[in-house]
Amino acid sequence: MRKYWCVFKIALADRFVYRADFFIATFLRFTPIITTIALWSAVYAGGADRRIGNLTYGEMVSYYLVVMIARAFGSMPGLASGLAKDIREGELRRFIIQPVNYVIYHLHLRMAHKSVYFVMATVPYALVFWWCRAYLPGWPAADQWAPVLLTLVLSFFLGFLINIAVGLLSFWFLEVTSFLFIFMVSQYFLSGHQFPLTMLPDGLREAVTCLPFAYETFYPVMVVLGKCSTAEAWRIVGVQALWIAVLAAVVSFGWKRGLRRYAAFGG
Amino acid sequence: MSRYLRIGARFARNGLVRELSFRTNFVVTVLSEVMWLGMMLIFVEIIFANTKNVRGWDNHQYLFLLGTHFVISSIFETFFFGNLQRLSELIRTGGLDFVLLKPASPQFLLSFERVDYSSCANALLGVSLCVYAAQKLGVHIGALNVALFVLLVLSGVATLYALMFIFSTSSVWFIRQTSAAHFWFYLTSCAKYPAEIYQPLARGVLWFALTFVIPVLIVANLPANAMVRQGQFHPWLVGYALFAAAVLVILSSVIFRWALRWYRSASS
Repeated sequence: MRKYWCVFKIALADRFVYRADFFIATFLRFTPIITTIALWSAVYAGGADRRIGNLTYGEMVSYYLVVMIARAFGSMPGLASGLAKDIREGELRRFIIQPVNYVIYHLHLRMAHKSVYFVMATVPYALVFWWCRAYLPGWPAADQWAPVLLTLVLSFFLGFLINIAVGLLSFWFLEVTSFLFIFMVSQYFLSGHQFPLTMLPDGLREAVTCLPFAYETFYPVMVVLGKCSTAEAWRIVGVQALWIAVLAAVVSFGWKRGLRRYAAFGG
Repeated sequence: MSRYLRIGARFARNGLVRELSFRTNFVVTVLSEVMWLGMMLIFVEIIFANTKNVRGWDNHQYLFLLGTHFVISSIFETFFFGNLQRLSELIRTGGLDFVLLKPASPQFLLSFERVDYSSCANALLGVSLCVYAAQKLGVHIGALNVALFVLLVLSGVATLYALMFIFSTSSVWFIRQTSAAHFWFYLTSCAKYPAEIYQPLARGVLWFALTFVIPVLIVANLPANAMVRQGQFHPWLVGYALFAAAVLVILSSVIFRWALRWYRSASS
């Protein structure tokens, strides 16, 4: 366990090196939310119907704001493509001969990245949320705090495992960049990042919510916003845990099968 | 000049060879773009199921805007996206040395080296969407308005190119930068919507900034307005679009040469 603690500490230090980059990235991350608010205020202004996808304008804005929090936990930029690259270019051999598990190593890297991110992004997030406070529903009720925190933490693990599982495809296909793009696009829509899944027609919504993506963003956001009862919130947390177990099994199985095919290209 | 044409032709040929050696990649790229477009269309459907117009744009005008955006971003991705994404990386790893040593304009070499033909096919998707929307709107498609549309689309591509080139160049100052891919995502997620939606925000300051300072809003909006919302289009806007594109391209070249003074050729 101590070796992974080292990985964590090194990754922590590494993150603090590129501060200018960090601030640019955080600033840019807020730009889509401005566009989203602008677009939805236009849509709500144009129609007489004041509830869309069962959400009022204020709820719609708060949905997108909380999506940013959920994504801060669940998004794993470059994880799947990094794994694909390590497999394709033979970098994986380092991990085969070292007593370090690639997946657990990367889990610690990501935990370190997220820790730094949460520390440094608190101020810009607090500012934006304070500025938009009129739209927000207020703090979760006392009995909702546990599922709210759990669902966010689980969305981190879910996001991590989904990305690793997709990256593993690289064991079987040499060039997966386009597959990864398809995956990113699907994730963007099916997780509820682009719009709340409640806006989909019933049949389609039921199909989409059977996939793990909805548990990465849409459901955690609903829990945070207090749009579901405490029992319902716990059910969501349970399904998340179930998906994590399934994906962990898939990753562990896929990893073993993949390593048998692995040829360690490169020199 | 003819030397640059020859180099450009060689780049184009190399790209074709690369493309033909990864044929499945071509199919999958096109497929993924079809999917992206499909999802965007669902989103537009959802919006217009709830409202008749978005700040003066009706359903088909909005589709035309989306098609225009698709055409512009496909052209950009065909010629520049891969190259500009590589630029930050070359600066960080010191690989830029090899470009600077060559006896030709480094900006030219950096901007045109790779041509990605698979993105090119997506322009056809955008054009089809535009033609469909224009027909629904009963817009006459003639030589004159198509020529104007093409001119504005090209100036939009040049504008995006210059903005992205400046962004990638700034890696010289901010080492290991947020990838160009992210910046591209943010730029396009801003530019593909009607410019009018930004007007009520912050007393129009944002709209002003995105039209005149970092002019991403004119990129797809102007050609779409010229074609399907002629009431909202004034001839002087053509002049503005060309002027903005020219200024930005010149600025990108000035900034690039200035940035090279800070380039440290860091490598292991």
